[in-house]
Amino acid sequence: MPSEAENKRQAARDVIDILEDISKILNTNLNRTELSLCVSLIENGVNPDALATVIKDLRREAGTSRHGPVDPQGAE
Amino acid sequence: MSVSTRQPARPRRIDDALSQLVDSLTPPLPITALQDDDLSDVDEALAAAEERRHAVQLEHAWHILDTHPNAPTNPADAASPGGRRGTISDNVNNAADLIKRKLRREHASPELAVKFSNLYSKLLTQPVLSQKWGILYLLYKLSGDSEHDPNDRSRSPLMDDGNLHNMLGRGRSAGRSAGARAVDSEDDDGPAVSSSASQRPPQASRAERQSTLREEWEAELGAYEKEKERVREGNAYQSSFHEASADRDEDRMRPSTAKPSFNEAPPDSVENRLLRDLPFNLQGLSSSHMHFESDSAIDLPNNLPVPMISLLNSLAEPCLLYKELSIFVESSEGGLVNQSLRAAIANELRSYLGLVATLEAEIRQALVAIGDASNIKGMRKGGVTLKRCMVWTRDATMALRLMSIIVEESRDKKGGQLISLIHGYSSSHGDPFVGAFAEKLLAHVTQPFYDMLWSWIYEGELTDPYQEFFVAERPPEHSNEDPRRFASSVWESKYKLSEDMLPSIITQEFAKKVFLIGKSLNFIRYGCGDSAWVEAYSKETSKELRYGDTATLETSIDEAYKTTMERLIHLMDTKFKLFEHLRALKKYLLLGQGDFIALLMESLATNLDRPANSQYRHTLTAQLEHAIRASNAQYDPPDVLRRLDARMLELSHGEIGWDCFTLEYKIDAPVDVVITPYGSTQYLKVFNFLWRVKRVEFALTSTWRRCMTGARGVLANVDDKVGPDWKRARCVTAEMIHFVCQLQFYILFEVIESSWDTLQAAISKPGCTLDDLIEAHRAYLDAITHKGLLGSASSRHGMSTSASARGPEESFLSQLHQILKIMLAYKDAVDGLYSFSVAEFTRRQELNAKIETRTAQGRWGVTERDILPRRANSRGGSTPDLRPASSGPDGIDTPLPLSAQDLAADDHMLTSLRSRLRELSADFRSRLNILLGDLAYQPDVDMRFLGVVMNFNDVYEPVKPRRRSAAPSSRDKEKERERERSKRKAAAASAAGSAATGSGTEGSAAKEPRRERREAPE
Repeated sequence: MPSEAENKRQAARDVIDILEDISKILNTNLNRTELSLCVSLIENGVNPDALATVIKDLRREAGTSRHGPVDPQGAE
Repeated sequence: MSVSTRQPARPRRIDDALSQLVDSLTPPLPITALQDDDLSDVDEALAAAEERRHAVQLEHAWHILDTHPNAPTNPADAASPGGRRGTISDNVNNAADLIKRKLRREHASPELAVKFSNLYSKLLTQPVLSQKWGILYLLYKLSGDSEHDPNDRSRSPLMDDGNLHNMLGRGRSAGRSAGARAVDSEDDDGPAVSSSASQRPPQASRAERQSTLREEWEAELGAYEKEKERVREGNAYQSSFHEASADRDEDRMRPSTAKPSFNEAPPDSVENRLLRDLPFNLQGLSSSHMHFESDSAIDLPNNLPVPMISLLNSLAEPCLLYKELSIFVESSEGGLVNQSLRAAIANELRSYLGLVATLEAEIRQALVAIGDASNIKGMRKGGVTLKRCMVWTRDATMALRLMSIIVEESRDKKGGQLISLIHGYSSSHGDPFVGAFAEKLLAHVTQPFYDMLWSWIYEGELTDPYQEFFVAERPPEHSNEDPRRFASSVWESKYKLSEDMLPSIITQEFAKKVFLIGKSLNFIRYGCGDSAWVEAYSKETSKELRYGDTATLETSIDEAYKTTMERLIHLMDTKFKLFEHLRALKKYLLLGQGDFIALLMESLATNLDRPANSQYRHTLTAQLEHAIRASNAQYDPPDVLRRLDARMLELSHGEIGWDCFTLEYKIDAPVDVVITPYGSTQYLKVFNFLWRVKRVEFALTSTWRRCMTGARGVLANVDDKVGPDWKRARCVTAEMIHFVCQLQFYILFEVIESSWDTLQAAISKPGCTLDDLIEAHRAYLDAITHKGLLGSASSRHGMSTSASARGPEESFLSQLHQILKIMLAYKDAVDGLYSFSVAEFTRRQELNAKIETRTAQGRWGVTERDILPRRANSRGGSTPDLRPASSGPDGIDTPLPLSAQDLAADDHMLTSLRSRLRELSADFRSRLNILLGDLAYQPDVDMRFLGVVMNFNDVYEPVKPRRRSAAPSSRDKEKERERERSKRKAAAASAAGSAATGSGTEGSAAKEPRRERREAPE
């Protein structure tokens, strides 16, 4: 059993490795944690399109908040 | 966490992951973000603010996620996390393709794309993920987000035209790729006819690109459409995003992409107008600038700079080609294959129109952009120029050009020729683009051809309204064929293989097989009336036929071939009893059934001696019936006997029954396919010849019998007078009988039986087809007619003998006929001799009787007066009665001269008989010598052997053929004359003979001389 679990984890790690490479090629700016979170979300049936929108939104907000003193509440 | 409580239906894992994601993506709040002035508990306030923001963002995220499930690809995705949809898994490749394309587009070198491909294939082998496409798609979207360089897409408007707006607000970061990209590679990989063109690495060879373009075209079109839609959806968001981003690098871009020639306003405006019109021109419609003068000419504006004119010139080509092709497509004449070619071309034109439509959208948007911004950069960046349009339409132009060439060349071609033409392009054209294109066309164009092929080899029907198939129905009049041989043969004359319609996708041998299959099926259906079998067969074995699947096609055709042939032979054997008929023909027409023929001849002999015009059919058939019933023929099946018929050939004046009598064996359809009418006449010919030989044999043997029986009685008494004659006559008769027997033996055993054997071997071979049967039977008949000395024209076609062989061989038949005639004449002469002998015998008997009565009366048995006239008088019993009455008063002065004359006539008859016999026997010998000489130099072993058998003890001296080369004509004439003379003599002799015996069946002509002679004494 432990070996199986180990195998599973190893496989998951492999997948994430590959995806990380791809993500690097594509310059998505996702780090490994974010990537694995995204993977788990999509594996659980979240629409990738929607997820992409969410991430972009978050990034934009982060960007705007970084650039100017915009009130996060005001964004709503 | 209020979100999760509010919506408990959401799976916890998603919730957790999402919240973590939001966390990781949001940077820590700066202190400045805090609004309240309470700085005492900064940390706490910060945490609270973050908490609040987190909740808000999570809420927002959930909102987006919840509104999205109705996205085109995955309905109810978020609501049912466990659900796996088969349709979505299809998109795995799609997402990968999108990424690949993007990578190729953005990078000059294909390294990254290759790297991605490797990674992707690795990923596919991983079993862990079930939503690979999803993550890929996500990555793709994200990459578009951070990476997106609006300048990229200007080169491939067909790809992301949804992003056109981005061009307007060009204030965006050019990203890292702007500098890296080589500006001069722009024109190398325009989108052209296929959307994928832009994604190919520039260094890929043109040919390679073209060949693959075609294949990808259909597949990618769909993907591309979908993508476009998605891009449009995200468009609103993206554009606002880009608007917001910083306006950098704008100046850096300008010099690199700008084309100096377009910087001036006037050409631009002209070009814009031209561009606006271009889509219409490309659809073959006239516009204000480019005007179609006719179907094949276009009028270009003449006030433009030369470079633009040259551009327009090249752009005019697709316009004209399209116009021409659309005219062709709309026309409707031509056969099925032409129509399918038209449909295929129409298909191609449709995809061309698709290209034009996208082009039009591009142009319009570009023009709108220019109009809006009134800013030259817009047009430049939009990149829709005439030159670019030309590049985009380049491949399409090539396809159009090829189609137009095909259309041009196919004008006077149809069916198989057309297929051959296109196949020629696909198989032997050097340009792989042309080859692939033609191949694609071929798949459509051959469809009707394969339909025809199908119905031909499975139904046996020719559904070919335009004569396009390589099997054609033969027109009713087929004068080019030998009318005798193929007169009414359904098999031979209904269909023919027309070589010029044979498409090059099918080999000659293959076509022959196909032809035979269909013909057989058709024949089974119509000739043999077994359509039920054909239907069952087609139902159970038929397979779809189409282009490109040669191996299957071949096996299915081989199979069909075997099945139909077997069936046909089976039908011929069982239902139509072909082999039985062949046997019957041999038995009856080739005199195989000896007892029947002997009986028939015997019973018909007296009948047939009479003139031909006194023969009645009913007597003949009655005799035939009799012969059948009394011989072993009665055991033959009634079906065979029913076909047997006796009749007279066309009457010609003065012939006797023997010459016209013939047996006939009636053959009806469908067996007449094998035993053709021509074959039947050959059979009749052989029969007539054999019948003649048989008749001579019969006559000779009956004479022989008479002689032999007579020799013991009648003839022995006159031995002193005609003994030597009889001896000679017997010798000659024996010779003749020997000749006839050898001839018959040869024909029946060496020729007919051996040929029959070969025929049997040929038709009992496994896998024998009807054609084989026909051929074997023809060979059989040919062998019989040729070797049986009956040489017919057809038999010698195959033989290697020179043209001179015709002469001698035809003379064989006539020689034989002459010899047989001589034999009959000789037989008549011998009969005459016999009659003479009998008369002599009777006279002697009477004399003896008279002597006896006189002796009994007491007078001298023989007086001088008696002897002289009596000896001279060879007539019947009436004379002795007459004589005493007349000579009673003046018995002494019976005129001596008269008696001498009588005696002389008697002697004269004997001598004439003798000379006739001598002549005939000499004639026989000389002719036989010639015949033997001819036979000795025959190429055929059997025929040489016949000569040897006839002359086994070298009693004849065969004449070398060379020696008599000049002689025959004069000598024949001489012979003819001589024969005429002798015939007259013979008539006289027979008349005399019959008069002497006072019996026989002499005609009125024979009675005349008798009356004369009776009158003479007075």
